[in-house]
Amino acid sequence: MKGLRRIVTRLWHGWLQRRIPPSRQVVLDQRRIFIFPSAYGFFFLLIAALLFIGGINYENNLLLGFSFLLVSLFLMAILHTFGNLAGVKLLAAGMRPGFAGARGALEVRVVSDSHAHCSLWLHWPGAPAEEVSVEAGEERSLWLSVQLRRRGRQHPGRLRIESRYPLGLLRSWSLVDLDHTCVAWPQALPGGECPTSGGDDDSGASHQDRGSEEFEGLRSYVAGDSLRLVDWKSYARGRGLNTKQFSDPAEGRLWLEWSKLSGHDPETRYSRLCYWVLQLDQRGERYGLRLPDGELEPGTGLLQRERALEMLALSGGGG
Amino acid sequence: MARVYQVPRHAFPWLISGVLLASLPHMIRAELWLSVAVPLLLLWRIMIQRGRVAMPGKLLRGMLLLGLVGATLYSHGTLLGPDAGVTLLVAAFALKMLEMFRLRDAYVVIILACFVLATAFLFSTGPLVTVYIGVVLVLVVAALIGINHPESGVSPWRHLRLSAKMVAQAVPLMLVFFVLVPRLPPLWNLKVEQHQGKTGMSDSMAPGEISRLSRQNDLAFRVEFDGEVPPPSLRYWRGLTYGWFDGRRWSQAVPPALDRQEYIRFPSGVSPQWYLQLLADRGDVAWKYRVVMERTGRQWLYAMSVPFSDKTDVGLARDLRLVRRTDIETTYDYRVASYLIPVAVEGLKEWERKFYVALPSGSNPRASAMAQQWRDESATDADYANRLLRWLNEEEFYYTLEPPLLGQHTVDDFLFRTRRGFCEHYASSFAFLLRAAGIPARIVAGYQGGQLNPLGNHLQVRQYDAHVWVEAWLPEQGWIEFDPTAAVAPARIELGLEQALAGLDEQTETGLAAALRSNPLLTRLSYLMDYIEFGWAKWVLGYNQQGQLEFLSRWLGRVTPERMVMALAAVGGSVMAVMLVWMLWRARRPGLTWWQREYRAMLRLMHKRGLNPPAHLPPSQVIAAAAQRYPRAAMALQDWHSCFEAAVYKPLATEPGLLRRQLVVLRRKVARMSRR
Repeated sequence: MKGLRRIVTRLWHGWLQRRIPPSRQVVLDQRRIFIFPSAYGFFFLLIAALLFIGGINYENNLLLGFSFLLVSLFLMAILHTFGNLAGVKLLAAGMRPGFAGARGALEVRVVSDSHAHCSLWLHWPGAPAEEVSVEAGEERSLWLSVQLRRRGRQHPGRLRIESRYPLGLLRSWSLVDLDHTCVAWPQALPGGECPTSGGDDDSGASHQDRGSEEFEGLRSYVAGDSLRLVDWKSYARGRGLNTKQFSDPAEGRLWLEWSKLSGHDPETRYSRLCYWVLQLDQRGERYGLRLPDGELEPGTGLLQRERALEMLALSGGGG
Repeated sequence: MARVYQVPRHAFPWLISGVLLASLPHMIRAELWLSVAVPLLLLWRIMIQRGRVAMPGKLLRGMLLLGLVGATLYSHGTLLGPDAGVTLLVAAFALKMLEMFRLRDAYVVIILACFVLATAFLFSTGPLVTVYIGVVLVLVVAALIGINHPESGVSPWRHLRLSAKMVAQAVPLMLVFFVLVPRLPPLWNLKVEQHQGKTGMSDSMAPGEISRLSRQNDLAFRVEFDGEVPPPSLRYWRGLTYGWFDGRRWSQAVPPALDRQEYIRFPSGVSPQWYLQLLADRGDVAWKYRVVMERTGRQWLYAMSVPFSDKTDVGLARDLRLVRRTDIETTYDYRVASYLIPVAVEGLKEWERKFYVALPSGSNPRASAMAQQWRDESATDADYANRLLRWLNEEEFYYTLEPPLLGQHTVDDFLFRTRRGFCEHYASSFAFLLRAAGIPARIVAGYQGGQLNPLGNHLQVRQYDAHVWVEAWLPEQGWIEFDPTAAVAPARIELGLEQALAGLDEQTETGLAAALRSNPLLTRLSYLMDYIEFGWAKWVLGYNQQGQLEFLSRWLGRVTPERMVMALAAVGGSVMAVMLVWMLWRARRPGLTWWQREYRAMLRLMHKRGLNPPAHLPPSQVIAAAAQRYPRAAMALQDWHSCFEAAVYKPLATEPGLLRRQLVVLRRKVARMSRR
């Protein structure tokens, strides 16, 4: 039984793959749209059938006509529900990574070239849906959350886009592979020694006194600089955002080393390293990262953190 | 307390008005409490939507439901049957508005609205009601579209437009279904206890009952003739005969020696001897016509003598009238060929003669004595009957709608004391006098006359045309019609009741109604309305199994179920295909963005004002040129331009709907300010 289901699922996915191949940009057309009555649609038809029987039994032509009108409305709703989805252009856009086990987000742009598309619901498998409507010629951007399971680059599956507009009697939907991926950082695993080399000692939790570093001067703030290094006093005086520059004493560098965590399995190592990247970043310390397949020069700030986390996410073939 | 589902603001007006207007026909028709309860419940719902009051709790809702059920029970005595059922349905439907906790509840309300709308057809089937119901359906569908559009800030008119469009698109398909879906016979016999009483002629008659009917203006039936229309004096529409007299009341009765099988001959049954004889004796076809009858709740049909119908469920009774197997609960449409009355070859059977001369013993002694004396003085039965008619004509008898009350011996009292009566008095006395002289006689009830509608060349027969007359059996002639009313008031037969009474300074209706009726424009309008209603009754209400068969056989040749299904699939499918192609074509067409359309609208405005900027100019220069030409509109033009630029270059910076509305407002301002 289970085997049969697996075979059916595989056949279905293979068929979908051929019918709607992955692409960064998809325009929905009749080949890509599925349509089926909703539960409410069946209920609606049932009521129409009841009125039909009533019309026959009471020999009332107008009652019959009314039931025919309801059925015709249902048939028209097929065209309109289909038409509401037809012509929607979907574009894969931005990505917001997240930690494994939590959620990331992927941006999808919904574009209408010809006519308005109302009340479209979009979601990745296993994630909550978001609603959007686009007018003719408009473009809307949606960030859709993605469940991240493992470390590494993740394919969220097929995007489901669904609509019941206008009458709710039918559901038209499409399953689109936008060739979109989301990066999952390792899950932070607290504890252990700080796996560092360099610096004045190897005690990871060493607290470096900022005062011992040589203050070199100010430069204007660049996005990604650590907020701890912003010269808030000068900002308060109205001189704009500036970042304090310190000289880079050789012994002040910390290298987070993969090799220092021997004895653990690789995923645990990544998780530990992740924890320490976050710790050091929070303290505003300067750190570098050395992994078997690459290294990151020491640095601070948001950008450094992003780089380090991405390296951890994608290292070793992305988990 | 569960979280309350909020109906989108843009859907709410359609939902409320849809519910109210769907209930309106029932509120007008049914009990007073319903027309109070429904608006109150809706008002309550509006207050909830506005956040003034909370949704009522379970207990309160339960009590309200009990109250509504109780009120229905109180006014109908039952919860079953269409009448009480619909009342309860409408009440519960309004109550459901207070129970909308989820989207699903809103869906249920809308389905109920469709159902309630449809039930209005059980009670009235006119063309105006149909149009009304179509309009309300558009509102209900607009509400359905609204609740499927959860975003805020959408214009409610947009739902209405789409709804009207969808309903309009559904109509051709509905017509295809209406014409082609096979009409089935009723699946099970629903003995409908109609809310309306039975109307028209009843199966018995006492003095004063026909004159009461004559005050009604309602339509009884319409007749369309193949060929020329008979003159008024021949328009005797026979409905039923009264053969039994109890001294006061004449009633319909089957002679005791006959069973129903022998009394009424249905096409599916065996033909009794008298029917075969009639077929052999009948003369030529005198009139061919189609009758479209309003609902009566009774079985008998109206036709001129001797009627033969085309219907399979209509039989001919021994007293030469048409009877349907079941009661007429909706508009009923039948064709009749009337043959000339045959000359009786055979005499009456002995039991028949006895039945038709029977009188209660000791009633009306004075009239009985006169009848016997006069019959002895006359040579033949016919002479005697004619003497009676002459007497009625020459003596001081008056035709009136308001006859005085009669004592115990109604005939004596009328003939020798009051002498003021309506057709039932004359017919009753005349039949009595015939029977008292030993001549078989019966009373015929039906309608006489009818007004010709020049538009459709058809007759309208109304309740005030109700009439009774007499048939007497004359040897070697058979049943011969006598109309004693004609002897007293010939105008009644030639011109109709109204004219006859006008000559006597009596009126059937109040002065105002009569004045309105005599207005030529209103008369023409009423003819037009009647014409439309007749067409509606013939083509829409009367499109039954037989009509369908006739219509389809013109197109399909032989009508078989397979051919019908194929025709339905072909025609319905092609209608759908046309719509689909149109929609695909529309989806493919590269549309303009809304701001491109807005710019075009602005250019059109310039064009209207006589400004024709060259096509290559950018918007900024077009606007500058316009501002120069119309300094008063310069401000508005500038504002419009900045909004337009924001829309084109910073589409994500503002709410697009807002910008769009703003642009339209500004463009209108420009139009106003640039007007000379």
